Amino acid sequence: MKNRRKCSLVVMAALAALAAVPLAAQDTPAGVPPEGGRGGGRGGRGGGRGRGPAMPPPGPVPRTSDGRPDLSGYWNAGNNGGAVFEVQKHDAKSRSLPAGQGAIVDPPDGLIPYQDWAAAKAKDNFDHHLADEPELHCYESGLPNQMYRQFGFQILQPAGYVVMNWEFMHAYRIIPTDNRPHTLPASTKLFQGDSVGHWDGDTLVVDTTNFNDRTWLDSAGNIHTDQMHVVERFTMVNDRTINYEATIEDPKAYTKPWKVAFSFNRNAQPGYETMEFACNEGNTDLEHYETTEGGKK
Amino acid sequence: MTNRLVVCAELLLGAMVYDAAAQGYKPPRTADGQPDLQGIWEVRTSPDKDLEKAKGVIVDPKNGKIPYLPAALARKKENEKNSTSADPLGKCYMPGVPRINLLSYPLQIFQTPGQIAIAYEYIHNWRNIYLKRDKHLEAIDFWQGDSIGHWDGDTLVVDVGDFNDQTWFDKAGDYHSDALHVVERYTRTGPDTLLYEARIEDPKTFSMPWTIRVELHRSTQPNARLMEYECSYLREVAGKKEGK
Repeated sequence: MKNRRKCSLVVMAALAALAAVPLAAQDTPAGVPPEGGRGGGRGGRGGGRGRGPAMPPPGPVPRTSDGRPDLSGYWNAGNNGGAVFEVQKHDAKSRSLPAGQGAIVDPPDGLIPYQDWAAAKAKDNFDHHLADEPELHCYESGLPNQMYRQFGFQILQPAGYVVMNWEFMHAYRIIPTDNRPHTLPASTKLFQGDSVGHWDGDTLVVDTTNFNDRTWLDSAGNIHTDQMHVVERFTMVNDRTINYEATIEDPKAYTKPWKVAFSFNRNAQPGYETMEFACNEGNTDLEHYETTEGGKK
Repeated sequence: MTNRLVVCAELLLGAMVYDAAAQGYKPPRTADGQPDLQGIWEVRTSPDKDLEKAKGVIVDPKNGKIPYLPAALARKKENEKNSTSADPLGKCYMPGVPRINLLSYPLQIFQTPGQIAIAYEYIHNWRNIYLKRDKHLEAIDFWQGDSIGHWDGDTLVVDVGDFNDQTWFDKAGDYHSDALHVVERYTRTGPDTLLYEARIEDPKTFSMPWTIRVELHRSTQPNARLMEYECSYLREVAGKKEGK
């Protein structure tokens, strides 16, 4: 057997869309954190319980030798109102995607507070340029998109760092937690941005700048510019739940900052390991996408 | 004295394994007592153009030649002739092991009690090295192989199996089959130097195992970080410029 996980983006999207249907039906108003379920399964099918009715029950959290919450382990982001397809509240659109609440908790209408030009650009992406979705080209997802991507991720917490590695696209984030400043010149533009972190009590706060404008916020073509600035807060509320929120500001694209919030659920499956995800290696999805899904026009 | 005898014996036997104990450098330790290899590392001169022509990289066999079986040598030559179009790196594929450690792009090592991870600037590649698993996975293969590690004194030894047959060792078309088995050894030889050795065996391709050795150098700049080399993106940008 060749690659067990020779993943097709199109197949993945289809699977995740199917998985999203029952979850979407359970959607509760934005802002209610998901139920802390023990995530078990792989990627799109398992792990995420989506938005449930209950707050995760607080409980003791594991700690590292220096007393910080120990975030290490395998985590799943869940469905989060179909955020991977569209981060903002959305009606059922084409491509058989169900309606969803998205993951935006502020503003209360659940919509990205776009400037007019950016709203027009996002609409044009959806209507005409879905084949430009960065992930179809094997790019890393950027923020906040990376955080609700499917297939789960692992956190390692060696001294001075919180390190995240996703199975999807073997994307990673390296977050130093030694209070270092951003030192890259503004001209340096990165897919994943430049992240620096510090602990605010038991909450890991991560400040990320130096983004390029090549990533999308989701598969629906929502955008940001290279002026995006993201501040994230990771708070472990019990041994199987990390509450996550991110404030996204971008004075070139939005009229005001907006915020997403959801939880990561621990994948406690014994012996679980991240598998290898091949993307550039024999990627035919782009071709399929362009011929069957509208693609470039 | 004992160490010197060991080194001599190994030289005589052609085993050519770097003997860390003989060198005397004691690396710092992580909180859980592992030799601390963490940091950002990179080769100074990449041998990726041609391992055989890069001086001193193939340390075993002594003649510096990859011990191909006759049929395999013919295929290597064919690969080399078509390298410009056939090199898997030209298509932004994962480089495999040990090639990924030999490129002119930095890597960063992270250590936790049960797992070591290596992040690569080159196409955001990532390797997990499991310290608490002693068998390779069954009925599966990987571009980067399956890595299980253990400590041999202050040397991290990584046994890499479960490879596919799709990667090359260098631009010169040096290649392997899916029977490839690599044993890597990572040894800190000083505050800013990491010796990297890889013993390569593949009975379907080589008449005997062969070993490469390079030195990696640590980035000592404050606040150093990996940047991004996004191959497919750069290729698309280049393609657009050429009007493709």
